[in-house]
Amino acid sequence: MVFNTGAALLDAIVLAVVSMEDSGTYGYRITQDVRRVIDVSESTLYPVLRRLQKDECLEVYDRQFDGRNRRYYKVTARGMVQLNLYKSEWKNYIQKINEIFEGGVAV
Amino acid sequence: MNHMEFLTELERLLSGMPEEERQAAVQYYADYLADAGVENEAEALRELGSPEKVAETIKADYYGTEFDETKFDRKNYMEKYGQRSEEQGQKNAADSAGTQTAWEKSRDGVRKDVPGGGTGDGRENNGTKKEPWTNNWLKLLLIVLIVIVAGPVAVGIAGVILGLIITIIAFFACLVITEVVLAISGIIMVFAGFALIVLPPAGMVVMGIGILLFVLGLMAAVGTVKLCMIVFPAVFRGFVDLCRRPFHRKAVS
Repeated sequence: MVFNTGAALLDAIVLAVVSMEDSGTYGYRITQDVRRVIDVSESTLYPVLRRLQKDECLEVYDRQFDGRNRRYYKVTARGMVQLNLYKSEWKNYIQKINEIFEGGVAV
Repeated sequence: MNHMEFLTELERLLSGMPEEERQAAVQYYADYLADAGVENEAEALRELGSPEKVAETIKADYYGTEFDETKFDRKNYMEKYGQRSEEQGQKNAADSAGTQTAWEKSRDGVRKDVPGGGTGDGRENNGTKKEPWTNNWLKLLLIVLIVIVAGPVAVGIAGVILGLIITIIAFFACLVITEVVLAISGIIMVFAGFALIVLPPAGMVVMGIGILLFVLGLMAAVGTVKLCMIVFPAVFRGFVDLCRRPFHRKAVS
């Protein structure tokens, strides 16, 4: 993609991807889901997840899978608030950009 | 490299971090590679890149956000101070410079376009409008204070840099002059050889040495000049770049 994905947008995308699974999802799958939309390298997602976890936007729990523990991520209430905020900010943002692109025509 | 080697190497590279952080990161990548499956292991490892790169991303973000979390305003102050002192080539801000580079690295990943991003955004968005150091008056005061404190040091450093530049230019100039002189003495020896034609063997030896000296001197002189033409603009460009960097970063933010 020609446009860069900033930190806030990346946070928003990760939160959105994790929130799609009610029972939580795991690192590899999050990476695959995010990479389906934007082109980020695999190694950028761990820091994002870790940070969101520390900010209490995500919570983790381990569950048995295939004879080993797999770490699952789930969006917290706080994370949902943050995600909704990102969503409304995004709507605002694209609307303004569209206004410029479409030459002042209301979209 | 298989996944065991990758994980061992990663664990080793993260040894400077708190145990909890290290375990979390290694656990994540162990999970990741296990979920990728044995058949995709090579592909997954290739896409992850070297353990060094992965460790670097983890550390950069950890130390960057660690700062965010403890004291947001302090981090911001450090950043400013770091940039100031960098501009003036000051070295006494070693600790703040250290944290700053770590912090900068954290911006160099995906976050290039949003300096000062990360939790900073989050906090602003959360409605807690706590931004002490973005206050314009405080900013101005800070800059004035830094200029007063760092001014004399900056003058000294500027002197040193100027001296260094002159030394380098003088050194190369001397080198070129020496080589030209060498070439000229070669020519003189060739003529001396002619003069010694009464003793043919001695004359020939002297002439031979003369030609050799001439060629050597000429080659060295041309080489040095060429080197200067490559080195000086590069050094100059590098220097300008270095000076411009803090301003550029600031302009973006």
